Amino acid sequence: MRLTHFFAIISAAFMAAVSGSLIADEPVSDENSCYVDGLSDRLRCGYITVAENPQKPNGRRIQIHFVVIPAIKNIYPDQAFLAISGGPGQSAIDQAPVFERAFGKVRQQRDILLIDQRGTGRSNILECNEDEIISPLEFAYEEIASADEIQACLNSMDADVSQYGSETALADFEAVRRHLGYTTLHVYGVSYGSRMAQLYMRHFPEVLATVTLDGVVPMQQSVLAVGLAVDRGLELLIRDCEGTPACHSQFPQLRDRFAQLDSRLAEGPIRTEVFHPMTGERTPFVLTRDKFLGALRMSMYAQNIRQLLPLAIDQAAVKNYQPLLGLFSLTMEGIGLAMGMHNSVVCGEDIHRLSDTMLQQMADSYISSLLVDSMSAACDQWPIESVGEAFSAPIVSALPTLLLSGALDPATPPDWADMAMVDMTNAVHLVATDATHGVAMQSCAGDLIADLVEQSSWQNLDSSCLEEGARGGFYLNASSVEAATEILSVQQEPQP
Amino acid sequence: MNSRFVSLVRKELLDAVRDKRSVMAGLYYAVFTPLIMCGLFMVLITQMSSPDDLKITIVNSEGAPDLIRHLNNNGISHSDDASQRKKISLIISDDYATQMLAAKPAEVALQADSSNEKLADSIRRVSRSIERYSSEMAALRLIIRGINPSVVQPIKLNKQDQATRDSKGGMILGIAIFTMIYSVFISGMNLAIDTSAGERERNSLALLLSHPISVRQLVLSKITAVSIFAMLGLLLILLVSKVAYMLVPWQELGFSVGISSTFIIAMLIIGLPVAVMASALQLFVSFMAKTFKEAQSYLTIVLFVPLALSMAASYNIAPDQLRWAPVSGQQQALMELIKGKEIPLLQLLVSCGFTLLISIALALGIERMLKSEKVVFGL
Repeated sequence: MRLTHFFAIISAAFMAAVSGSLIADEPVSDENSCYVDGLSDRLRCGYITVAENPQKPNGRRIQIHFVVIPAIKNIYPDQAFLAISGGPGQSAIDQAPVFERAFGKVRQQRDILLIDQRGTGRSNILECNEDEIISPLEFAYEEIASADEIQACLNSMDADVSQYGSETALADFEAVRRHLGYTTLHVYGVSYGSRMAQLYMRHFPEVLATVTLDGVVPMQQSVLAVGLAVDRGLELLIRDCEGTPACHSQFPQLRDRFAQLDSRLAEGPIRTEVFHPMTGERTPFVLTRDKFLGALRMSMYAQNIRQLLPLAIDQAAVKNYQPLLGLFSLTMEGIGLAMGMHNSVVCGEDIHRLSDTMLQQMADSYISSLLVDSMSAACDQWPIESVGEAFSAPIVSALPTLLLSGALDPATPPDWADMAMVDMTNAVHLVATDATHGVAMQSCAGDLIADLVEQSSWQNLDSSCLEEGARGGFYLNASSVEAATEILSVQQEPQP
Repeated sequence: MNSRFVSLVRKELLDAVRDKRSVMAGLYYAVFTPLIMCGLFMVLITQMSSPDDLKITIVNSEGAPDLIRHLNNNGISHSDDASQRKKISLIISDDYATQMLAAKPAEVALQADSSNEKLADSIRRVSRSIERYSSEMAALRLIIRGINPSVVQPIKLNKQDQATRDSKGGMILGIAIFTMIYSVFISGMNLAIDTSAGERERNSLALLLSHPISVRQLVLSKITAVSIFAMLGLLLILLVSKVAYMLVPWQELGFSVGISSTFIIAMLIIGLPVAVMASALQLFVSFMAKTFKEAQSYLTIVLFVPLALSMAASYNIAPDQLRWAPVSGQQQALMELIKGKEIPLLQLLVSCGFTLLISIALALGIERMLKSEKVVFGL
């Protein structure tokens, strides 16, 4: 029995070796038509097979999946618009409906190319499958995972996690481009995706026609600095409400109430009973400071959900936790990040770049220190080498480049984009007054990008639409955003 | 025999070319039909599609500032200038804000004439924009009450549309193919009349028949000459269409219509038997007439048959029966080709076979007619 088992292992290893040597160096691929949830159009799907470790072309091979959203009228068949997702750890293919909506005008004449970066989505995803026995509502969770949990996560993945950094992934993107026969790319990167786009500018500028960086993470910046931006976002939110007459008169003590609640939660979690947001059944709800700030943080990413926050904070201060529960429920099943890939990127490219002054600054901020501590714990065990000094150099480029920031962004504040463009000679930075993170998805910026792509120049872009008052009002009660004074005047009229 | 046949065809073609007016008349159709059609489509597209900046009438806009902001973000706004705005009115009820605050459905009226096709796209855009606002607000109301909005989406319908960007333009391509097939009939028509009824009117037919040639040779040479003209017209309409269709901004309607080189070649091959049948049919009918004018009026009536067959294929009338018939069978095969589907070969062969059989029958009919002195001398 044991002997056969032993034999099986030997033969399996041998088979692997044989098949490994038989595979050609050229990427193997397969293509057919497919659909992505939320998009009814027939798409072209496929994958190429590449070496997981480019230094070992005969080693393990992984599939890099891509999707082409075909142009409506393909006037430029040798060009594609490559949209790169953020995270790090999001699947670009899963976001196809979002990109299709934002870049509908680009798609009229050019293919949109989406690639699941290695370690995400369909491309050998690196996920930690935690056993979720306890409901996230009850779980008094700390974002910091234990050493055992991290080790278990590492063990569960069938991959050499050291090979999932940005620059290795960039080579995959190039391989996909060559495989599909596009000679020119217009590249768009949002959030962490803007780092990939900048690396593209650095390593393969000859294949790029235009570049759009949205919610920019400059090469000089560690993504972990987003922690500080969260605090900035909260401050902006409170100031925003104070500056809006209707919101201020409805929630005059918002700043104090937020501070009270935050310090109350700093002492320990609030335990209460609620109706489950999905099942409607009675269930215990343990509100920790992590959950509270985490829910606020995620809510600030979306313009419309942000409209609920003053009311949610105000209600929580008077012990009505339903609004917070609703916000928390939006992300309690996870936010679609491949954590293994996320760790590979952050541990290799970001954690070591936090300066002492920055660490000092972050220690004063609860969210920042939480973020740094949890990533430090993971990175201590994550077997990946840090990138060199040259990685952090700003991008030197003369490519027509559009940088987009949302003034309300809780992750990448507008001055990050200014930092990214110091050595770009043909770049413009536009700030959307009312946008949060990912300007193209929540404003007219998608059409501006279409113009940039069409003209290969940002000189004639009409950015006035980014300045208009596009922001929705704050919710004043659980039903309406309309100002109370106007409602009062209507009510005062004699009723028939 | 062969050289005699060739010189006969050459004689027919020379005759045709000498009469510049009828050459041009035949080819006008091929050149101008696609141009006129594309011009019409361009006007239609601009009229039908909603402008980026849609101006409508909004009554009581102060009653719902947030809704107005949402509409403005989607390019829909109020205008006092009646010449700029579309005839669509949005009326916000007086108690919109009170109803909203109490979580009762707030009422908004949308007034427009749905039978006005120029407005259809704009009306759809306004109502869709309001529906989106409403459902977004519904989700936010649930969240703030501690309920996950996915609870009210019991079914997530994932639509998977099997159309390609080419097949979505199928209706328009159907019309395009129809005009092309019709060009086969139109382009050679003048020549067919001229070389039959015309020749007899000029009394040169009898002279021709007095030469040492067989009637069959004469009939075949006439059919060949007319077919060459028909094919010339087809080639011309294909080339003009290829350029013209490229200029229309189809993408604004969400699909593309393009005439590929493959399609041109397929159309020319498939069009050949149709051209032969068209020529034989036109010659047959023209020989029955005594004068040029008479032939013209007969042909106008006879041409209705291929027109009806092609039309039926375009509009999918009785597709199962008609797919074996001449003209409509070929047209259906071409439509499949352009939609990127497999060409139904058997069906195409059968309908081409029928087409050729009819051509042979007609040719034999003409041959028989020309053997009768009554016909030759127009008695």
